[in-house]
Amino acid sequence: MSERTRNLIYGGLIVALIAVVGFLIATNPTEADRVSRLGASIMCPVCQGEAIIHSPSEMAREMMDLIEERVGQGATDQQIIDELTASYGQGILLDPPVSGPTLILWLAPAIALVAGIGAIVWWRRHPSDPGDPTAAPAGRTRTAVTALILIGSAAAVLVAVTSFLQDRDETALGVADLQVEDLDEVSNQTLEAVIAANLDHPQISGMRLALADRYREEGDYRSAFPHYFAVVESETSDAGQRVAALAGLAWITWDGNGEADTALGLLDRALEIQPGSVPVRFLEGRILHCSGQSDRSERVLSDLLQEPSLTVEWKQIVSDELAAVEAREVCA
Amino acid sequence: MLAFLGTIGVAAALIGAILLVVRASVVARGKGGADLAGPVKLVVAGSMTSMAAMQIALALDDFSIAYLANNHATATPFPFDVATAWAALEGSILLWGLVLAGFTWMVFTAYRRAPDRLGAAALAVMGIVAIFFFGLMTTVANPFEVCVAAAERGCLDSSPFPWATADVPIDGRGPNPLLQNHIFMAIHPPLLYLGYVGLTVPFAYAIGALAISVPGAEWLRRSQRGTLIAWSFLTLGIVIGAWWAYEVLSWGGYWAWDPVENASFMPWLVATAFLHSALVQQRRGMLQAWNFVLVISAFALTILGTFITRSGTIASVHSFTQSAIGPTLLGFLVLVLVGSFTLFAQRGHLLASAPRVENMVSREGTFLANNLLLTVFAFVVLIGTMFPIILEAVTGTRVGVRGPFFNRLSVPLSFLLLLLVGIGPVTPWGGATPQLVWKRIRGPLVAGLIAGLLTAVTVTRNGWVVITVVLGVFVIASTGALLVGQAGRRRSKTGEGLAAAIARVTKGDARFWSGQLSHVGVVLVALGISFAANLSQHQEVVMREGDQVVFAGHTITYRAPFQQRHPGKTSSGIRLEVVRPNGSRVTLEPTHNFFPGHPNGVATPAVDTRASGDLYVMLLTLDENRVATVELDTSPMMWVLWLGGLTVAAGGFLSYRNRRQERAPARAEAVGV
Repeated sequence: MSERTRNLIYGGLIVALIAVVGFLIATNPTEADRVSRLGASIMCPVCQGEAIIHSPSEMAREMMDLIEERVGQGATDQQIIDELTASYGQGILLDPPVSGPTLILWLAPAIALVAGIGAIVWWRRHPSDPGDPTAAPAGRTRTAVTALILIGSAAAVLVAVTSFLQDRDETALGVADLQVEDLDEVSNQTLEAVIAANLDHPQISGMRLALADRYREEGDYRSAFPHYFAVVESETSDAGQRVAALAGLAWITWDGNGEADTALGLLDRALEIQPGSVPVRFLEGRILHCSGQSDRSERVLSDLLQEPSLTVEWKQIVSDELAAVEAREVCA
Repeated sequence: MLAFLGTIGVAAALIGAILLVVRASVVARGKGGADLAGPVKLVVAGSMTSMAAMQIALALDDFSIAYLANNHATATPFPFDVATAWAALEGSILLWGLVLAGFTWMVFTAYRRAPDRLGAAALAVMGIVAIFFFGLMTTVANPFEVCVAAAERGCLDSSPFPWATADVPIDGRGPNPLLQNHIFMAIHPPLLYLGYVGLTVPFAYAIGALAISVPGAEWLRRSQRGTLIAWSFLTLGIVIGAWWAYEVLSWGGYWAWDPVENASFMPWLVATAFLHSALVQQRRGMLQAWNFVLVISAFALTILGTFITRSGTIASVHSFTQSAIGPTLLGFLVLVLVGSFTLFAQRGHLLASAPRVENMVSREGTFLANNLLLTVFAFVVLIGTMFPIILEAVTGTRVGVRGPFFNRLSVPLSFLLLLLVGIGPVTPWGGATPQLVWKRIRGPLVAGLIAGLLTAVTVTRNGWVVITVVLGVFVIASTGALLVGQAGRRRSKTGEGLAAAIARVTKGDARFWSGQLSHVGVVLVALGISFAANLSQHQEVVMREGDQVVFAGHTITYRAPFQQRHPGKTSSGIRLEVVRPNGSRVTLEPTHNFFPGHPNGVATPAVDTRASGDLYVMLLTLDENRVATVELDTSPMMWVLWLGGLTVAAGGFLSYRNRRQERAPARAEAVGV
């Protein structure tokens, strides 16, 4: 057999094999793969940097179920990711976005590769003049400049990292240094990070509560939910925190999902912990009002108004609400 | 008493290092032959004394030393009490110092055999690095501080003066639970440190050569042993670390692109690039400047790695310690980078005369491509690890850069590297026609594709797995064909048996063939990773006593919960009876371990390892009603991954051994035997 025939046989064989193997790979039934691939690229919002596919948390489970459902309905990856980020924010993406500052992250490796190839090509085309004694002084100037640039950039990195270290000292990811009154100045993301990094810390419930309240005020009930829930379930929460979290949960359950009964059940649990709590009873009256159970609402609110310990502010709020109920106004 | 001894040891080593720098600089400048043996011996003796003091203190439970009060407990069993010596920051620097002293001794023995300026200059650089680390031990990371305010367990305040009156706690806190859960954790740090610190040797020779203006190939030749031993241990350290993570850490993986894992992987990648490009310079005199860049980068990355591990800057599973050491290490890193590259730039004109690669279709051409890919790989890991920190420092935004980012970029780079591993070794030095290379790889390519086809038809059509199989079999076939071809030519000449011929061939060019052994290891690692990442199954179940589940062919029955007390820990777990797919039985006991002084337990998975794959069971929760939540995983053929990792390291060690054997006759010649 001539070399040419052999080449043809091998070449043909290789092309045919690549085609067959490629076809088999491309037609691999991928439904299950898509679910796990998506699950692996989304971070569980309540755990520390774990993908939802690996996380045992309730919330991660729900998110996985959603993905499975959507894949079943034929949604594209992007649609599913958009739906999830709409509810839980961009922070859940394990992949940094290919836009904004993280674009650098995606471009840098490509630039490095191109620069590397360019350097090799340039290096092969430009043989330097070996042993040219006059090259040395010019070389010296160049090296001095190089050294200056190096020192400058090193100094810049040092300054940046040192300032980062100091930053860390102040806002420290440790909970101990985060005073409750400081919380206003801390961004939601930072709080999330602090919480994620200190899940077992005894003071974490206060922080979760603050964050959840903030989400609730922003109308982001979906983000608020897991934190309220965690405060209720946590062994380290005190009674006041648990009651506040139950009240928060009740409100978003009603306002977000319209489930009045569930909400009232949560408030009952809160009242078991702190019988007679004014905010809880007021909330009960308000949810009853808003869900159209005006009679019950009237009863709850007028009972509350009889309470001797009521502060002036609360008296005002409660009587305003009671007036609205009695007038059968639609709740605002 | 022991604090005294330890402090004296550290001080002696520091003084030795300073003397070494002073005297070695004199010799390196060619201004006379000062005695270097004394300072080197002082460094070695000092560091050994301090480590001995630490070990004796651990054996005697001497809690007057703050480090012991905070990291050791009377109940800590062997071998974890020994390993406690490097379980936390100060101790790990102590170990670093000891290993550095060992490598300094190695450089010194080479110098003693043939004293010259280059050897002395390298010793001076080793001395500078030693001054830094022993300096750390006398200032910000003093392992022998005396406890002056004891808590019930542990120490609240300590004094650096060994004569301070000690307030001795009754017992210590004990090491971090994660660190006393598996034997691997006791040996992983020393292995890794042998790798990290070993990279000081080529760095020292490189900087030494630049400093005395004799860049040639001599520094490469001298640092080969150091580089090989460092690279082999670094490989072994990374593999053992991954294995430990798999056996102990609750996330059940072996690699999570955790910053601290990345910190060990980056110098490995650069050192691997260096092993190859050093060969190019030795064979063809090319890439002189590039080799300096690689060696300096590899060393700088080890310092960066120490910074990442020990400063607590990046919150991660490995950041067990936090301290003021961060800025100091960062300062040293900047000093190393600026100092080395300035020196490099000043001497640049001396290196500019190297020949170029004429023909890219040549061994050196493939090495060039390999270096490009490896350094881009290292760069990807570097930017992925450091970018979030830098971005947060500049803008205050936190971004998570995690597994998917690294996987997305490292998988194509790894595939390209595998392809090169198959092509490079069959491509001759100096240049070849593309036809020759094609002739050598077409058969292996067909073999790889057929293997891929079989995999797709019989096992899985998962693209990643199939591609890995194709490339893996291609590499092995290509290397195997080369070996069989060479052995065959030998046989036709000598008429010996195939096995004997193969043995002869591999012995004849032992250096090349140990490299190929490492390549086979890399293939196995790639296959192991690909199987584990794409073919594993995962399920979580809630079980009551007596419940039975069927998972991936296993029938698993929850028999009973149990509690056990061991010295130094309490375990609570469940007993599971497993009927394997082949009908044989095994009992698995996933547990939670609790250690005195540490409120949170550590989950220890139970792993049933078989050739076909592992059944991995982790106990997530066990409540008072004896209801258990259990995570079940199968990882097909995990052993391939560990075997591969060990094979990579074995190739390195074999190459090191052969290098020694090659040198022995050379020495005999030199003395005129």
